[in-house]
Amino acid sequence: MKLLELYRYRELIKHLVLREIKGRYKQSFIGFFWILLNPLFQMLIMSFVFSFVIRTGQLSVPFPIFVFVGLLPWTLFSNSLSSGVNILVDNASLIRKIYFPREILLIATLIAKLVDFAIASMIFIAMMLYYQIPFTWYMLLFVPILLVQTVFTFGLALVLSALNLLYRDVQYMFQLILSLWFYLTPIVYSVDFFPEQYRWIFQINPMSVFINAYRQVLLGGDVFNIPAILLGGGIALVMFFISYGLFKKMEGIVADVV
Amino acid sequence: MCAIVLQDVNKYYYLQHQKTLKEVLQAFILQKKTIDSIHAVKNLSFSIKRGEVVGIIGKNGAGKSTLLKLIAGVSKPSSGTVQLNGRLAPLIELGAGFHPELSGRENIYLNGIILGLTEQEVTERFDDIVAFAEIRDFIDMPVKNYSSGMYVRLAFSVAVATQPEILLVDEVLSVGDLSFQKKCMQRMESFRKNGTTIVLVSHDLGTVESFCERTIIIDHGLKVFDGNAREGVSLFRERFL
Ligand SMILES: Nc1ncnc2c1ncn2[C@@H]1O[C@H](COP(=O)(O)OP(=O)(O)OP(=O)(O)O)[C@@H](O)[C@H]1O
Ligand SMILES: [Mg+2]
Repeated sequence: MKLLELYRYRELIKHLVLREIKGRYKQSFIGFFWILLNPLFQMLIMSFVFSFVIRTGQLSVPFPIFVFVGLLPWTLFSNSLSSGVNILVDNASLIRKIYFPREILLIATLIAKLVDFAIASMIFIAMMLYYQIPFTWYMLLFVPILLVQTVFTFGLALVLSALNLLYRDVQYMFQLILSLWFYLTPIVYSVDFFPEQYRWIFQINPMSVFINAYRQVLLGGDVFNIPAILLGGGIALVMFFISYGLFKKMEGIVADVV
Repeated sequence: MCAIVLQDVNKYYYLQHQKTLKEVLQAFILQKKTIDSIHAVKNLSFSIKRGEVVGIIGKNGAGKSTLLKLIAGVSKPSSGTVQLNGRLAPLIELGAGFHPELSGRENIYLNGIILGLTEQEVTERFDDIVAFAEIRDFIDMPVKNYSSGMYVRLAFSVAVATQPEILLVDEVLSVGDLSFQKKCMQRMESFRKNGTTIVLVSHDLGTVESFCERTIIIDHGLKVFDGNAREGVSLFRERFL
């Protein structure tokens, strides 16, 4: 099994992750705070602007924290894919000369983004305290959601990075898709604001399913929609294995075309 | 026991004429050819015993580097199988896999770890690597600013520091200065004595003749000779020069 081969390369994964994280935090304090400031300012601006546009009064929680719970996983998703789509091209000189399973580059970058996510989550905790929203055991249910999201992201990143190798404009196309995708995901609004007849858009958008589930367990003091997450997890897993197979097929010629 | 076994190995490169989706679309509409292939390695079979030192010679574009990439696993054969027994260090086409933006120090770690060392082991050998490469003053500079000689020095030092059982060397030495070339040959000589399998691609027939016991001649992707180094080199001189 190919996945087991990865265990042999754990040192390499560790090293790549640390390199990416250290590189970002090397500019001392600024680098570290950037990880916090970036989502913080985005959240502030979004909740300011959209609070005038959207009937935020219908929400059961303050609008800023509502936005932030959507924004955090979205940022994780979008940062992971933006760096994932270029990962093979960026490491071309390494790939041309030496063998290691190429998905390691992706795994390392995904882990590094998860670390950023964890750091930015400190703001979330601060906001919970500020708005005096009670902490409940349900909140721990964010773990399985994050797991499903990660599998989904990994699968997508595998396909995109391989495609981008063949056609270098995939990265630009994907940036466009990502910015449209943002608006079709309930980050600054709630699905409930939409008439029934349009809600299917959010049911087929995995990011929307995840974000709704995060809100349910973190802010709603509730269990997430179990069938939706199970189905999402199943689909993400199947997609992942297909993507992984495709990626491994491509691997033999990666070095020839980079 | 064989260190390297190749069986009926073929390698096609596919040349993609269109690099963007727009070009693909245009080509599709204009019914242009989208893919050409090059048969770079043709039906190659051989095995190299543990501890053997083999020189691979052939003209430019014959398929030597392709062959080493197949052995190193960097590129996969289109058909046939490549089997390896032992820890490998490849030096393919002027250097190891370095990341141009990273410093020499960082690349030593990255490369050492990819080649199977732990971080701890790289740290232990770090000073030796830098000393052998003689690039101490440049160690924290991005390797893209290295001269090609410096690049190769570092690549060679890291590769030998991993104490490989199989060493693949593709024309690396030619860009080093004479004193470094001499140092490398001495190091390879001691590797040979220790039973390391070495595959050396070189245009320097003198080196191949003196250093290797066996020679394989590649021409247009085909193996045209496989045998005693001295005979191979004189055959090559007659037929190809
Ligand atoms: N990545 C690649 N994509 C397409 N074609 C390639 C690629 N690499 C090599 N080739 C082609 O394969 C053939 C063999 O090339 P290779 O680099 O193996 O030759 P070589 O024997 O190492 O030559 P040299 O002595 O110049 O180093 C050449 O025709 C070359 O154009
Ligand atoms: Mg070559």
